[in-house]
Amino acid sequence: MQSPCKIPGRAFRTTLMTAALAILLFHSCQDDEICEDLTANNLRIGFYMIDQEDDQWTVVDSLRVFAVEKADQPIHDTLRFISALELPLNPSADSCGFVLDFFHLVDTIWLTYERKTHMVSVECGFTMFFDIKKTVYSTHHIISLEAPMTYVTNDLDEHLKIFLPDTVNGN
Amino acid sequence: MNILRYFFLIPLMVISCGLKAENDTLFVPSVRVGLDMSGFARQFVEPETVTGEVSVDVELQENYFAVLEAGMMAVDVKKETHRYQAGGYFFRLGADFNILGRTPENPNDLVLLSLRYGYGTMDHEAPFIVIPDPFWGNHQTALPSEKYRAHWIEAGMGLKTELFHNIFIGWSLRGRLLVASTKDPAMEPYFIGGYGKSNGNTTLMLHYHVLYRIPLR
Repeated sequence: MQSPCKIPGRAFRTTLMTAALAILLFHSCQDDEICEDLTANNLRIGFYMIDQEDDQWTVVDSLRVFAVEKADQPIHDTLRFISALELPLNPSADSCGFVLDFFHLVDTIWLTYERKTHMVSVECGFTMFFDIKKTVYSTHHIISLEAPMTYVTNDLDEHLKIFLPDTVNGN
Repeated sequence: MNILRYFFLIPLMVISCGLKAENDTLFVPSVRVGLDMSGFARQFVEPETVTGEVSVDVELQENYFAVLEAGMMAVDVKKETHRYQAGGYFFRLGADFNILGRTPENPNDLVLLSLRYGYGTMDHEAPFIVIPDPFWGNHQTALPSEKYRAHWIEAGMGLKTELFHNIFIGWSLRGRLLVASTKDPAMEPYFIGGYGKSNGNTTLMLHYHVLYRIPLR
């Protein structure tokens, strides 16, 4: 079978070269990947009032946070009137602890996790995701702790809920 | 969606060129062996990626070509915070259909519609990774070599013209759809040999060919 679509030789070669150049231009104009800032894969904590039917945020008046392993360097030095917190998990260890100093009472949270190295892209490099396996905490001011989302990635999920006393109603 | 745009061009070209037989005497069964030059061109733009590809096509029935394309790829990306290496092989198997009528002046010029199945296999690794952390300090690690496989289908069009006696040049534009691949939550391949950059399930790639035709009679 042969088709009757005929193009003279010179025109064919001209078409070939023109199309090739056009496509080459199109090809070279495609954007290279731009590396956005790598979002830190922080542990996200929310503070809640205990004994509420629906989880209700509570405001912590003052808070200072240290890592157990680096007590000389506070992660957050005197946060005021907060109801959420972000903490960096240690990418070089399978566990880390944080001291939460509520100024009148101090608690420690200890987290054990699996680390998962994750490629953002070849251009932008790698980051660390964490899969929390265990949480241990003291209960001087903290009443209880829940981990609704244990996989810590670069999304905006809340990973831990810390329940505190209802200071307004004196519970 | 970009690929669909090019797929729509194919039936338009078929309709516009028609399918009526005219001159059967110009057909000579032949084998054509080719070299894909786009790998050399890529070296100037992306020196971290090396590809090489050869092709064989056989025209046993006029305007219908059975095609085998095969090649290798190697990637070595070195950055301040990481190094990524990959190496592998691929092949594509399929057919071309010539929609251009043969003329006595230019009996071997071709406008081709192409369909392919492609398969690629590679090993990739990240032997050096530094994850910066402003509080804890930099963490150095590595990801060991993992095997990656991919299957895809592709469609496209291209031109080939006889530059000298039995020496051809040409180009082809291919739209590819990844249909199956190894899932690795830690590391996606940067470049899949024979497929292109792995940004999603579709890709568009341009190839430049130099070919030598061996008439079979």
